[in-house]
Amino acid sequence: MENARILGSSSWRIYFRVVLPISRAAIIAGVSLVILEVLNDYGVVSYYGIQTFTTAIFQTWFGMGDLQSAVKLSGTLMVIVLGILVLERIARGRRQFSFTTTKVKLLQPVKLEGPKKWYAFSFCMFIFSIGFIIPVIQLVYWATMTYEQFFSQDFWQLIWNSVSVAFIASTIIVIMAVVISNFARLNRGMLAKTFPKITILGYSIPGAVIAVGVVTLFTALDRQLFGFYEWLGLEPTLLISTSLFMLVFAYVIRYLAVGYNSIESGFDRIGTNFTEASRMLGMSVTKSFFKVDMKLIRGAIFGGFILAFIDIMKELPLTLILRPFNFDTLATKAYQYAVDEMIQQAAIPSIFIILVSGIAIYVFHHVLEKE
Amino acid sequence: MFVHIRNLAFKYPNSKDNTINDFNLTIDQGEIISILGESGSGKSTILRLIAGLEMPTNGNIMVGDHCMCSNSSFTQPEKRGVGMVFQDYALFPHMTVEDNIKFGLQKWSRKDKKNRVGEVLELVNLEDYRKRYPFELSGGQQQRVALARALAPKPKLLLFDEPFSNLDADLQIRIREELRRIIKSTGVTSIFVTHDQDDSQALADRIVVLREGEVAQVGTAQEILGTDCNFADRMPVKPRVLSRV
Repeated sequence: MENARILGSSSWRIYFRVVLPISRAAIIAGVSLVILEVLNDYGVVSYYGIQTFTTAIFQTWFGMGDLQSAVKLSGTLMVIVLGILVLERIARGRRQFSFTTTKVKLLQPVKLEGPKKWYAFSFCMFIFSIGFIIPVIQLVYWATMTYEQFFSQDFWQLIWNSVSVAFIASTIIVIMAVVISNFARLNRGMLAKTFPKITILGYSIPGAVIAVGVVTLFTALDRQLFGFYEWLGLEPTLLISTSLFMLVFAYVIRYLAVGYNSIESGFDRIGTNFTEASRMLGMSVTKSFFKVDMKLIRGAIFGGFILAFIDIMKELPLTLILRPFNFDTLATKAYQYAVDEMIQQAAIPSIFIILVSGIAIYVFHHVLEKE
Repeated sequence: MFVHIRNLAFKYPNSKDNTINDFNLTIDQGEIISILGESGSGKSTILRLIAGLEMPTNGNIMVGDHCMCSNSSFTQPEKRGVGMVFQDYALFPHMTVEDNIKFGLQKWSRKDKKNRVGEVLELVNLEDYRKRYPFELSGGQQQRVALARALAPKPKLLLFDEPFSNLDADLQIRIREELRRIIKSTGVTSIFVTHDQDDSQALADRIVVLREGEVAQVGTAQEILGTDCNFADRMPVKPRVLSRV
């Protein structure tokens, strides 16, 4: 960019001729991410009564009890998702821009003066208001109307459910992500290359599809295990597929990518030098990991944990389908209130999702700064 | 012969040609060898093969009486008893100088560890820096800690990867004199890799010139200087250095 400037282009020209083309890959990646998120969404579309694939999967399954059709719908949705992923690849093409010099200098921020300053400010403020401030004020207002429920024991149970499930799932995610990325980092070959790609795939798959897949898998597994349950002296029922285990399993599939990306970038930063140095000093790979690598990427591990934690806290479609009977999280409760025309009641659980996530982010930054 | 390398070949999975082609070398105990080559000649790869950080496609490496790798066996780097000083030192940033040095002494008793740390720090003249963290040290000091750390477990063989590339020129000259003194005083067999002819001359008993993964020449600095006019042209002969070789 600075190059272009020195070559004498005006700011506008620079923007359209240099900045946009260079950013193309990033923009396409951003757009496809949004598309995938929208395909995944269930809460908003069902509240406003819009028919989407996700809501259709829900209806055929819960409304009509038709798992077969739900599987078919999921299959179709998966084809679309894969189509988008392929399109993204093609659109990016060979132009996976990298920098010819290794050190990318950060742009010098330009200090805006006069009216320009206010245009920029109000544009950002506008988006921030619509996206965050106004909804939160509305929530707080509603919350003041329904604050009594805060004192009920059910509500504390909700928070406990949400936090504990998110905590367990994020812990498993982080452990798996560390193992996979460490393996991919220290090995060459097909397996080390394909593993991370499969790991990340889960994040592109809509929650409803994962849910359908996981339920189908676990019911089949339960059927296989009937004999074993009987042998243990238990009643042959659907043991695993009605347990929390299934929900946690699905969370891990869907959000493994979140933890993985954070941890992988942590490993990228430290490289393999320290590991090699440790091995030359007589430590095995595993010992090196605990004594050296893990300590150096603590921040990244923690960051991955927090990101996965927040994502799981607010997850809806998976939770709605896979939760055990009578198990509610903040997100499912807020959703139920909302569809039952008790939108004010939904405010308190919603605020608590924001609150818990906010605390998590605060702790995260606090820890990072200390590092 | 203390170190014996025969028919060593290596190829990175995604490259067409061999990075190392039929590399042969024997080294006497206590000898200092320099592998001299341009970047891309495969010199660092040879070091990594000896260290066990890469697996050769062919050939074998013997150190002492132990087979480090052959076509049928491969000893993991942590079991080889080979020390290495990395190009960027790779000192563990979350440990003090003392802990960095102790890292390779995990099986030693507490008292032995303490004594050994004292010994090697004295050797590199850094007794007062025990409790410092690597980022509190200058480049030259960091390098000496890296050397102390590699020497501490008493390796049979010590490897240096471009040991001077991160140092200022005047520091470089001072440190390589000292480095030779330290290595010779411990009697450890050493191999170091460099692209700098001055370094090779000042440090090594023998020089191996590497070109495109193959040994182009082996000999003392004098022999190499005598036969290769390129070297003589580019490098005025420094009697002070030559007299020592």
